[in-house]
Amino acid sequence: MPRGDELSAPRTHWAKNVARLKALTVDAILLTTAGIMVEFLLMAFSGVRGPTGMLLTAEEILDRIHYPWLIMSGVILAFLWNLFYGWIGASPGRALVRGVGEREAALPWSHTLRGWFTVLFIELTFFTGWLITEVDLPTFLTKFSKASDIVRGLFHPSATVLHQGILLLVQTVFLAFMATAFAIPVAFALSFLAARNLTRGSALTRAVYTLTRTGMNFTRAVEPLVWALIFISWVGIGPFAGVLALWVHSVAALTKLYSEQIESIDPGPVEAITATGASTLQVIRYGVVPQVIPPFLSFTIYRWDINVRMSTIIGFVGGGGIGYILKPRVDLGEWGEVGTLVLLIAITVWLMDIVSARIREKIV
Amino acid sequence: MSPGRDVAVRLEGVGKVFPGNVRALADVNLEVAEGEFLVVLGLSGSGKSTLLRCINRLLDPTSGRIWIFGSEITAAQGAELRRMRRQVAMIFQQFNLVRRHTVLTNVLSGTLGRAGLLPSLFLRFPAAERERALAALERVGIAERAGARADALSGGQQQRVAIARALMQEPRVILADEPVASLDPALRHSVMRHVEGLNREEGLTVICSLHDIDLVKQYATRVVALRQGRLVWEGAPGDLDRDTFHDIYGTDAEPASNTTI
Repeated sequence: MPRGDELSAPRTHWAKNVARLKALTVDAILLTTAGIMVEFLLMAFSGVRGPTGMLLTAEEILDRIHYPWLIMSGVILAFLWNLFYGWIGASPGRALVRGVGEREAALPWSHTLRGWFTVLFIELTFFTGWLITEVDLPTFLTKFSKASDIVRGLFHPSATVLHQGILLLVQTVFLAFMATAFAIPVAFALSFLAARNLTRGSALTRAVYTLTRTGMNFTRAVEPLVWALIFISWVGIGPFAGVLALWVHSVAALTKLYSEQIESIDPGPVEAITATGASTLQVIRYGVVPQVIPPFLSFTIYRWDINVRMSTIIGFVGGGGIGYILKPRVDLGEWGEVGTLVLLIAITVWLMDIVSARIREKIV
Repeated sequence: MSPGRDVAVRLEGVGKVFPGNVRALADVNLEVAEGEFLVVLGLSGSGKSTLLRCINRLLDPTSGRIWIFGSEITAAQGAELRRMRRQVAMIFQQFNLVRRHTVLTNVLSGTLGRAGLLPSLFLRFPAAERERALAALERVGIAERAGARADALSGGQQQRVAIARALMQEPRVILADEPVASLDPALRHSVMRHVEGLNREEGLTVICSLHDIDLVKQYATRVVALRQGRLVWEGAPGDLDRDTFHDIYGTDAEPASNTTI
């Protein structure tokens, strides 16, 4: 029986039609986006003026683009390209989506319509981006003097905040440590629920897997800075709010790293322990845990390292640590004192980096 | 099968289809009497490993039924399944020891099926079991390495630790999946002799997959062969001649052995 074909080709018409629809959607989005960028650049370079007679800003132009028309033409073009792909070559969507069934022969990009479209798309993105982000090279190259005070201050650190800075730096390192320490047991427990190879058993365990993974991805997507604001309202300004903010983020990050490690273990010992008649907990204790402890330790130390760096930023919004006294000095323009604090942070991060790298080397 | 002996393992119409419609076993019927040393022959991918793993339910067969000493393991669940697994120890090609645990802890893990849950989670075992584990290590000749980490041992030594672990299970059946395939040819007999010892002295039933015709002729009491998931041949080791060999392995194959067959 020709097993290979059976596995590679989509098994049903339904699956094939879903793939075609995906390709069409991708193409419609790409072509519409290209259309929007073309109209944006045309309006920007034709010098359209607003009611006040001023040249339009990028935002105002974006406001005036004919979106319905562009979407409609994008969809129509995508439809045509997918209909006539046999003559003009596969569309980007057809090339990207798996399971459409048709693939273009491996031609150099300059021989396919798709290749030319890709190049045009990248150019359009670059020029549109230049205007939207208001890139201004002349100012960048001529107005350095305005920032020279700051730079001079940074290179002439003042000793007045040295004492307070060191005290708060110690707090920062402990803040990061406590966040990591609180994260370990929670992430350890969750990682077993988020490991695909341990949750294949039943529909219930698969649901637990999906739920854990989704929850952790969501938690990780929220910036620690946002968590800090939430916990500052919860427990008040201070290092404890910072600990909680970094804790939440660390749980999500460590769960992901831990569970990926569990997924990549050697299944041999798991089989061997299962064969002795051991229960699920015993199989995990003997077959899984010994294999994942060293990489878990390594990830955890690395996480502490990252948390030290993050906690300086957390302090900016009131989460304790050295960032807490850095923010007012930036606002007041005390650049010499800012210089001292930045230097202290840099030395600490550098030391943490070396120490954690050395420890991780030893463990694995 | 000689009359008067118990049937240790019985397979009836066993099939296994993996996801993606990959058929690994098809309608396997087999009876293994207590005390037999049955060798399973076949190419890589012929279904030998799948067959062994169905017997102790490391894999669930998709069709058919399997009995161990008269109890149907394919119908067992939970605690009942674990209790039945204790009668069937397994030895693997890659030894599958817990590499970071000591040799002694690895041997003691053979008792997990009857150990108390809480002490076992802290790697604690009764003194009597530790005595027996040391005796098992003595028997395979590596008692002096009891305190070493498992991954500090050579391949041949690791497989002997795996045999001691299997022994600790107090099994009635041993499944051996290519037990000497990753070992130096010079070490193969030392490991096979220990398996043979369990068979001859303890009367354990052995079901063992092997590649080497020399070893088959020396240790097997009966041979079956698998091709594409089906049993294609059955006989005594003495009946293995060049024609049957080609039937099992295909006409391009040559027996990897110095003895004439």
